[in-house]
Amino acid sequence: MDRRGFVKRTCLGSAGLFLGGFGPNIQEGILLPVPPPIQVCGLKDFKTSPLGMPGLFPGRVVQVSDPRSIAGNRVSQGIIRRMLELGMKELTGESTVRAAWLKFIEPTDIVGIKINPSGAPACCSSPELVREIISALQDLRVPPHNIVVYDRYEYEMDIGSYQTLLPPGVRIEGIQEGFHDDSGYDPKVYCEARFFVEWETRSYMASLVAHGLTKIINVPTMKDHSASGVTGCLKNLGYGTFSNVARSHRAPYSFTDPLIGVMCSVEPLRSKAVLHIMDGTRQVWHGGPLTQAQDFIYPAGTLYLGTDPVAVDTIELEAIERKRRERGAPSVWDVDPKNITANPEEFYRDPAKNLFYRRPGHIASGGKLGLGISDLKHIDHRVLAG
Amino acid sequence: MDGMEEALIFSQSFRTEKDWVTLLCDSSRTGGLGIRALKAPKRARWQLHVGNSVRSAPIFRGETLYVASLSGGLHAIDVQSGRTRWKFLAGDQIHSTPSFCGNTVLFGCDDGKVYAVDDNTGTKVWETAASAEIWASPTVRSAVVYFGSADGWMKAVRVENGTSLWTRQLGGRICSTAYAAEGHIYVGSGDGKVYSLDSSSGDILWEAATLNGIDSSPVIAANTVLIGSEDFFFYAFDANTGTLRWKYETGLGISSSPAVFDDFAAVGSKDGFVYVLEVQTGRLRWKTRVGQAVTAPPVLSENAVCIQAGGTAALDKATGKVLWRAGLGASVQSVPVLTGNVIYVASVDGEVYAIE
Repeated sequence: MDRRGFVKRTCLGSAGLFLGGFGPNIQEGILLPVPPPIQVCGLKDFKTSPLGMPGLFPGRVVQVSDPRSIAGNRVSQGIIRRMLELGMKELTGESTVRAAWLKFIEPTDIVGIKINPSGAPACCSSPELVREIISALQDLRVPPHNIVVYDRYEYEMDIGSYQTLLPPGVRIEGIQEGFHDDSGYDPKVYCEARFFVEWETRSYMASLVAHGLTKIINVPTMKDHSASGVTGCLKNLGYGTFSNVARSHRAPYSFTDPLIGVMCSVEPLRSKAVLHIMDGTRQVWHGGPLTQAQDFIYPAGTLYLGTDPVAVDTIELEAIERKRRERGAPSVWDVDPKNITANPEEFYRDPAKNLFYRRPGHIASGGKLGLGISDLKHIDHRVLAG
Repeated sequence: MDGMEEALIFSQSFRTEKDWVTLLCDSSRTGGLGIRALKAPKRARWQLHVGNSVRSAPIFRGETLYVASLSGGLHAIDVQSGRTRWKFLAGDQIHSTPSFCGNTVLFGCDDGKVYAVDDNTGTKVWETAASAEIWASPTVRSAVVYFGSADGWMKAVRVENGTSLWTRQLGGRICSTAYAAEGHIYVGSGDGKVYSLDSSSGDILWEAATLNGIDSSPVIAANTVLIGSEDFFFYAFDANTGTLRWKYETGLGISSSPAVFDDFAAVGSKDGFVYVLEVQTGRLRWKTRVGQAVTAPPVLSENAVCIQAGGTAALDKATGKVLWRAGLGASVQSVPVLTGNVIYVASVDGEVYAIE
C-alpha cells in the first residue's frame, strides 16, 4: 500500500469522508463542469462543539448600519464601537455587551481573529473594527498573548499595517512566510480532490487553526469575488485556513462551489469558528477580491453579525446583487460567455466583464453541509440603525 | 554644528560613497542621494534564493550585499558572483532591515533580540534582548544603538557589547525606525504619536499626536521632523518642541518613510502616489501615480526618485515624470538598493536580484 492509500484508509476509518453529488451545474443553459468528489480528513479524536457553525443562533443575521462609520475612506473607531455593541446585544439577546461576548468566549480561550487583508489598502478588515474586537476580548480578561490576529500571507497584513495599528502584546501571524511555504500546515488534516491537472491534490489545514486556537472570530469583508461570486464568511474562513486553494479555479471555470463549504465543514475549523462579524463599512461590488478602484467600492457603513456564516453570506450576496443592479452591472450569477474575458485589465475596468463563471452557489452548498441557512425566507434578518 | 551635520559626518565615517549601510542608505536617510547615474535596468546579473520570504530591505557595503529573511538567516552575498559569503542563523523570523556600525552588522529579530554579527566571520559578537519582536532597524549614533519593539518599548544599548543604557515604554507598537540626532531620538508609534526622547536618558522631551498609528520612520530636515501617519496625513513637526508646522493630506494611509533631498521630502502613500513636498511649507511640488499602493520608502539618485510599487519606477526629481519602469512584479516590496549601474532588490518569495 502506498502512502496515499494508507492515509485514505486511515481517514475513512476515523474523521474522513467523501463528499460528492454537487453537480451537474446547469445555469441558464450553460453546462459548467461537475466538481469531483472531495475527500476530507479532519482532526482525529476532536470533540465537536455546540458553538460551532451554525452556532448558537442559526439563521439569525444582525445588520447594523451607520453612514457616519466611514467618511472619506476613514473608519470611525467610536461609531464602530457603538455599532458592534448594538449588534452583539441584538444577536445574543443579552442586555450587556460583556454578557453578549461571554456567550462565545471564555477568559482561558486562545482566540484567533481571522481577518481579510487581501484587498488592502482599499478594502480590508478595518483595523478599527479589529481593535474593538480585541478590546472586547480584553474586557473579558483574555490576555493579549492569547489573542492571535492571522491570515495566510503576512505581507498582505503588512499592507494593512495591522502590525502597527493593533495593541501591543497581541500576536499577529501569517500562516505562510512566502508563496511556497507549507511548514505552517498540518499534513494530517486536509481536503483532497483533483480539479484540473494540478500535481498537489490536497489542501492542508493551518496548524494554528488545528492546534493553536480554541475559538475563532471571523472578520471577513464584503466583496464581490471573480471566482466565487462573493467573498464573505465562508470564503474568508475556508480559503484563509487551508493551503493550495488557488488550484480550485482556472479561468473561466471555478470549483469554489463546493470546495469553500467543504473546507468550512472540516473539524476543528467548524467547531472553533463561533462568531462572524462582517466588515461592511466598505462594499466592493465589482473587481473583488483585489481591486483598488474606488469606483467599485461603496461606503456602505454596515456591520453584519451572526453565528451562521451561510445566513450572513446570503444577506451579503443580496446586498451586492442589489448594488450591481443599481450600477447596471450583470448579476454575479451571470453565465453569459460574452461577458467572460481573459484580460484582467478589462475585468478591473468594466463591471460587465468577469474572468470566471462566478459560483455564488457555494453559499447554498455550505447550507447543504449543515453550516447554516441559505433560504431567505428562513433567515431572521434584523436591521438596526447605529 | 547641528545634529544633521553631525549625523552625516558620523554615517560618512563608516561608508564610502557607493555603500548603503542602513535603511535608506545612511543615517541621515538621504536614500542614496550620491548615486549619479540611474538608468533603466536591462537584465539580471544574478539571482539567489535566500529563504521563504524577504520582508526587509537589503544593505550594501564594499562588495557585499546583506539580506535578512523570514527564515531567520542573515546572508552576506558577494555581489560579483551572487554567491553567499556567510550566513548567520538567528532565532526566529527577521523583519528588521540590518544596519552597519564599524565592522558589525546589526539587526532585530522576532525572537525579541538584536544581534550584532562580525562582518568578517559571520559570527555573533553580542545579542541583547527586548521583550517582544523587533521589526524596526537598529539606529546607531555615537556608539549607541537605539531600537523599538512590538510591545512598545524603546531601548538604547552600547554598540560595543549590547549592554543596556536605558528603556522607555511608549504607547503603542513600534515598527518605526528611530532617527538619531544630537541629544534627541525621534520615533513614531502605533498609538499615533511621534516621540522625541532624550538620547542619554530616554526621557520623553515631547510627544505629538496624529489621528492613527504610525508605521513610517521619521527623518529630520531643516530642524523639522517629517513623518507619515496611517491617518492619511504627512506631518512636519518642529524638532525642538513638537509644534505642528504643517501637514499634507493624501488619499490613504502613509506607511512609507520619507527621503529628503535639497529642500524637499519625497514620500509614498497607500493611495498609489509618490508626493514631493517643500520641507519648509508643505507645498506640493509634484505627485505621480506609480502603483496601487506604495508602502516602501522612496530612494534617490542624482536625477530620480526611485520607488518600489509592483515593480520599480524612476521618476524625474524635478517634475515627477516617469523616466522608466522595470518589473519584477508585485512579489518585490522591499526598498531597492541603488549602486551606480546595479540595483539590488529582494522579493516576498525569497529571491534576491542584482539587476543591471
